Amino acid sequence: MTGRTFDIAVAAAGRSIVRVVGYPVFDDRITFLFGESGIGKSVISKALYGFMNSAELQIEINEKPYGSHLRDPWTQAIKRNSFFVFQEPSSHFNPLMTINDQLNEGSLAGMQEEDILSRLWRNSSTALIRKLLDVFPKPYRPSGGEKQRILLAMAFKRIDAWIASAPSGEPTYFVFDEPTGSLDNTYRNLFLELLFEKYMQKSFTIVIITHDYSIISEIYNRYRHLIDRVHFKELSRLDENRVAVHDFSAEEYLDWLAAPRPQPVKHLVVDPVLEIQPRFSIFGRRLAIYADSERTRLQPLLINKGDMVYLKAPSGVGKTTLAKIIMGIYRAEQFSMTLDGIAVTDRSAMSLWPSSIWGKRAGMVFQHADESLNLASTVRETFKGLPLKKRLSESALVNYLGELFDGRPVTGSFLRKKVAHLSGGQKQRLNLLRTLILGTGLIILDEPLNGLDFLSVKKVLGLLDEKRAAGVSLLMISHNEEIFEHFIDEENIYYLGEIE
Amino acid sequence: MKTGRPAGAGLLSAKDGRWLCFWIGALIALGIWDHLFLNRPAFERIINGFINTVFIALLSVVFTLAMAWVITLAFHRLGSANNRSGFYVLSFFLNLIRSIPQIVGVLFGYIGIAALVTAGMLPGKAAIFLLMSICMSGFIMPEVIDLLRERIDHYVKLDFFNALRVCGVSQWRIINFDILWKNSRIHILNKLISVFGSAVFLQCSVDFIISVGLSSDVNAVTLPTTLGSLLAKMDSKQDILAIGNTLTNPAYLPQLFFQHLQGLTVASLIVITLLAVYQISCGYAERHRL
Repeated sequence: MTGRTFDIAVAAAGRSIVRVVGYPVFDDRITFLFGESGIGKSVISKALYGFMNSAELQIEINEKPYGSHLRDPWTQAIKRNSFFVFQEPSSHFNPLMTINDQLNEGSLAGMQEEDILSRLWRNSSTALIRKLLDVFPKPYRPSGGEKQRILLAMAFKRIDAWIASAPSGEPTYFVFDEPTGSLDNTYRNLFLELLFEKYMQKSFTIVIITHDYSIISEIYNRYRHLIDRVHFKELSRLDENRVAVHDFSAEEYLDWLAAPRPQPVKHLVVDPVLEIQPRFSIFGRRLAIYADSERTRLQPLLINKGDMVYLKAPSGVGKTTLAKIIMGIYRAEQFSMTLDGIAVTDRSAMSLWPSSIWGKRAGMVFQHADESLNLASTVRETFKGLPLKKRLSESALVNYLGELFDGRPVTGSFLRKKVAHLSGGQKQRLNLLRTLILGTGLIILDEPLNGLDFLSVKKVLGLLDEKRAAGVSLLMISHNEEIFEHFIDEENIYYLGEIE
Repeated sequence: MKTGRPAGAGLLSAKDGRWLCFWIGALIALGIWDHLFLNRPAFERIINGFINTVFIALLSVVFTLAMAWVITLAFHRLGSANNRSGFYVLSFFLNLIRSIPQIVGVLFGYIGIAALVTAGMLPGKAAIFLLMSICMSGFIMPEVIDLLRERIDHYVKLDFFNALRVCGVSQWRIINFDILWKNSRIHILNKLISVFGSAVFLQCSVDFIISVGLSSDVNAVTLPTTLGSLLAKMDSKQDILAIGNTLTNPAYLPQLFFQHLQGLTVASLIVITLLAVYQISCGYAERHRL
């Protein structure tokens, strides 16, 4: 096995963004890179690829200025041979060019993409795919998942070009930054299938940056023959400025998943906290809640005291929308629910939520911590203004934060730190703790494991289980099916669907 | 790798800092020169006029911010309570103010103040200062209201606003603390720097117009001396004419700095202040990437 290691340091305006020693790139191998969001996975990959702006950032690679890395034959070669799939597909399309033109632009011109597209859009007709290619991209069109697959198609075209080229011994470095973030498991698996198929034709260097731990199960179940060519790596924080790269134990994840799940505490009295009637309409769409994955049996969504309920649906169907309807942010038609004894319909006064529900009977953890926290506030200020029963002293807050921030002791200086300066994983944990401290009987959690590393995932699930045992009712919304199906009883899984 | 602040990252490394230093430096240089070569009564008048101008402009900034903040909250309250009639009445009132050119509005406001003074209804200088500032603020505040409403509208559309609301945080705290204070104070401060510049400009223009064209009696007796009113005085006008004279007679230039100092100083103070405030505002916006 050959490869290179890099010492990488990136800073902006004198503030260190990431500093890692011995970051490995394994030639012609597949590396999965895990780690909490914001720890520097994308920055490291982009710096190696040569994407960073040295005018705005201070970058050193192997203790040499960035310019020297950019002139290195390795960097020049990977730029010729490889591709970088960016994390956020929406921002990487030119709105003034059709998808088709962008798919055939520059070095992508002259290569066929029909086969790739039909593989990534399995079960879709050629006419439908062609229609999509004529679209000028807008923020909402095509969908996030479709844009992601188009970016992947671009990468596959470059991979095809590499496979077709004569053996040159030149290095490659194909980076996929969160390539499945907007894909459900079916499309994610189609992507993996095609990627590994190409890899088997002619090997090349692949780095997949992801938070999707369930990808491990997929590899162990379907691609066991590739295991000896796969590396699982994880970035973890050593201190404020430095991160370390180490092996991630796939076996540990699989063992954790296979371990007997915690048995929920059975509450003697069945006490309904939330009951939602199965049919409602919003934004001109009719939605329904079902008891089965085939979506044949309509059923009211019922959460009793101490229940953890999981709401499943493909991306874009309306899971988050339903959560926002429950919380009175959106107004649905023909909607009816009972929340902790309060009957709510589509005609209920909007003042009902601030007066009786928000922070009193129910709380909600929003999907993106970056958008739902005040980034300009300090950690301490994040907990100010909440309707708590008693005043939260600094020492009480330090203890409370320790529940999820116990990797390093929480200090007063941490409390004074700006939320914007926390890593993505820290923000997500703060986002969770802000809602959990309210002590409401019902908590809705929209993608609570977003951006967390495996250690934090376990901690968060442990904390949620404690809340459940204490009688708090939890409604979970997550694309992380493998983990939640493991933790939640089948009878507490509901399916949301659109009525045609 | 060096991660400390780059050398020279102090006040002078930023454009706004450099222009602030330039402004202060220019004021000191003018003061020293006038102290040496300008007669004492004229020098005292200039100091008095400059202090009054800056004081009224600062008061205008304070009143503009206070009035704009209150009206913005009223807009938000009426909007969130779905009180359409109240919302439209307030919008109409604001648009009415907006439709009047600032200089015309302030001019008529000053005429009103002069009338009150003449009628003996404004006893002290402080009351006149306050009214002059409020009058100016009334016509400048729509700009600040637009900024505050824009900031609130931006954040209300994000999950940030709803995420705080569903945690039970009061709407007023979210608006005042989380949105306006924590996330908009740089934008607001930048706008207030511009407001200060506008207040100086309006005050000088209106005072000049009143002193020259409307009633020298009222100005001379009642309204405080400002840079605008000083510029309108006969000897200042002669000084300004002398500046014009140097264009055709360059040999006269050195005498400007010794014989026409009052007009030259007042004109310089106005020009340097407006230029410096403008550049400070631009530099501040650049530094904070607004």
